[in-house]
Amino acid sequence: MQQFWQNMSVISTEHFLILGVVLFAIGVFGVFLRRNALITLMSIELILNAANLTLLAFARAQQDMRGQALALLVIAVAAAEAAIGLAIVVGVFRNRHNTNLDDLTLLRY
Amino acid sequence: MMGLGSVSSSLLLLGQAAQVQQVPAASLSVQGMAPAWAFWILSVLTVVGALSTILRRNLIGAVMSMVATFFGIASLYALLSAHFLAAIQVLVYAGAIMVLFVFVIMVLNREEAEPWALRSPVIKALGTGSLVYLAVRLGEMLLSPKAGVLQTAGHPSGEYGTVASIGDYFFTKFLFPFEAISILLVIAVIGAVVLARTVAKPTSVHEAGAAPLPSSNGDGDDAAADASHGGH
Repeated sequence: MQQFWQNMSVISTEHFLILGVVLFAIGVFGVFLRRNALITLMSIELILNAANLTLLAFARAQQDMRGQALALLVIAVAAAEAAIGLAIVVGVFRNRHNTNLDDLTLLRY
Repeated sequence: MMGLGSVSSSLLLLGQAAQVQQVPAASLSVQGMAPAWAFWILSVLTVVGALSTILRRNLIGAVMSMVATFFGIASLYALLSAHFLAAIQVLVYAGAIMVLFVFVIMVLNREEAEPWALRSPVIKALGTGSLVYLAVRLGEMLLSPKAGVLQTAGHPSGEYGTVASIGDYFFTKFLFPFEAISILLVIAVIGAVVLARTVAKPTSVHEAGAAPLPSSNGDGDDAAADASHGGH
């Protein structure tokens, strides 16, 4: 129990890593649980942020700026992904009048 | 399930490998890397926001929860001495990406018939099992006596996390990725314009009786009008 309180009061790299795992898991569950394409895109953004948090935690632990540079690249890729993904969602909506992912089965099988 | 376990254990291994290169133990800070209360408040905000993002039915509410999550993550970046990235996180996510999402949601305002993709009880059982496994492993990590082992050097050097040092990396060692990411952004902008451009095609069934709008910039308005009809 004492160890537990010490772990609560002294923040180490592991705390940030655990938070990253939790965020990643929430993002993955969002992708699997929801049918709406927009919620799926938001979950992907959450996953990318979890990866960024892990990168920054390791960069801070090693005092290495390369992790931060990589995280900035990840943010840029996430922005590009959001723009393209939302454009695709708008295009799909124009053609199908629907953004339900389970209904987009034209290329299945 | 094995995948999650191996991921968390490999994270641990990576962290222990990182520890080898660290500064001598004399400079280890007793305080840890960040103020504990700030970390816990921000992580609760982040996790609650993320859960609310994936669980809400109202899409605008989900986007606002996502923005709260991103503010929490930006503050966590600041706790990790990444102040420039915290500012960029707020600018890019809470600014640009949030506006994009809200705009698209306004255009495609459709009520979901059935938002949850869970159907078979096998999938539900697997999901619940993996969730319980993850919770058990994380609790184990928080409770285990080894959990403080990665506690790192207290204060980073003065140049760590500044804009100058990031710029130094981007214009020397990371020059190629920097240029590549600019090309990627140009391609993404052009691709988004091409994908979202209005194509000259016959108007939809809903709008057949309505007055035809000019082809440029008209389709978004059509969709919005559609949505308002559907909403009522």
